[in-house]
Order: sequence, then structure tokens, then C-alpha cells
Amino acid sequence: MPDEVPISETSGAAVPVAQSSSPYVAPAGDHRRGDALALTIAAAAWFLPGLGHALLKMWGRALVCFSTVALLVILGAGMRGNIFSRSGEDAFAKLGYVADLGVGSFYFVARALETNGPDVSHANGDYGTRLLATAGVLNMLAALHAYEVTRARKA
Amino acid sequence: MIPPHEFRLSHFQAMVIFALVVSVAFGFLSRRGSYQRARYILWSFILFLLIGVGIGWAMYPFSH
Repeated sequence: MPDEVPISETSGAAVPVAQSSSPYVAPAGDHRRGDALALTIAAAAWFLPGLGHALLKMWGRALVCFSTVALLVILGAGMRGNIFSRSGEDAFAKLGYVADLGVGSFYFVARALETNGPDVSHANGDYGTRLLATAGVLNMLAALHAYEVTRARKA
Repeated sequence: MIPPHEFRLSHFQAMVIFALVVSVAFGFLSRRGSYQRARYILWSFILFLLIGVGIGWAMYPFSH
């Protein structure tokens, strides 16, 4: 796969590579820059699924993140799953909103796709709600992975 | 205006799609190399299905 790039190449020269055996100790400024870069990459990965990995030139992972999250959102909205809003009345609705927000900009895509509104009176709509929440949690996991890769903690 | 598309999936179809998509995403995020990824994807896909069907059968007595 084309995303088999060494970590040091993916994370850029400004990011310190954590190696316990290396005598190199990164200056505090480098750490701060690395943190800021990692947070920016994570925010990009959250906002548009796959963008974080694309910025790290991990094309395979970027494509998979984008397509899996997009597929789950299209299916979930097509099955008339519940897209939770900010005004959730109980803890589950609030948790559902957090999970749905995980898809970033795709939250609005899901809302645009679901023109007929949710229908959870049938099992189909209930499955759709789960698929939408899965898309959000999966994207948050991908954003965390992109963050960890940028901090050079993960392959 | 985007035309509405409605999908009607059975429980099993939804479970298979969920298992496949999540397995592929997990495989690509957690493994490097095509062979390792393929093994992980296949293994987690099978486990998702087996555990899903197993839990379904475990709940069967309570629904009757």
C-alpha cells in the first residue's frame, strides 16, 4: 500500500520522534510545535473523515476512513436513523449527539440526506441510528489515530 | 434538494454491513502491510458475526 511511509517521514521534520534509545532530547519549543501540529491534524481528521491521514500522506488509511464513514452515514440516514440534535432531553440523547458529532462535517450531510426525518418506530430506523453513531465513533477513533501518528507514538 | 433514498435492510444484512465496514476500518488503522491487514479484517469480521449470532441465540429463550 502507498501509505507504508516511515513515521519520521509522515510526521514532518518539525515533529520530534519519541525514541527511548536515542540520545536526542527535543527542545521544549519542538514539543509545543509538535503538539500544535498533532492537534491540527486531529481537528482536520475529525472535520473531514480521512483528511488527517491524507495530510500525513497515508493515502490508504485516508481513503478507508473517508469511505467507511461516508458509507455508514449514507446508510444510517437512508435507513431513517435518528440524528440527535443539541436539545436532547435525556442522557442517551446527549450521548447520541456526541457520537453523531463525531462525523464532523458529515453531520450536516446526514441531515441533508434525511429529508423525511427519522423513523425509529421500525427496526430499520433503529439500525440506522446505530450506524450513524458508529460512523461518529469510528471517525473519532481515526482522528485519535492521526493524532498519535503525528506525535510519533503509533505506526 | 437531495432526493431521499431509503434503504430497507434486515437485521442480518445490517449486522453484516456493520461488521464488514468496522472490520475494514479497524484493519487499516491498526495493522500495516496487506497480508496483516487482510488477516485482521477477516478474523474480526468472522468474530463480529459469530458473537452477534451467539448473543442473538443467547437472548432467544427470553423472547418466548
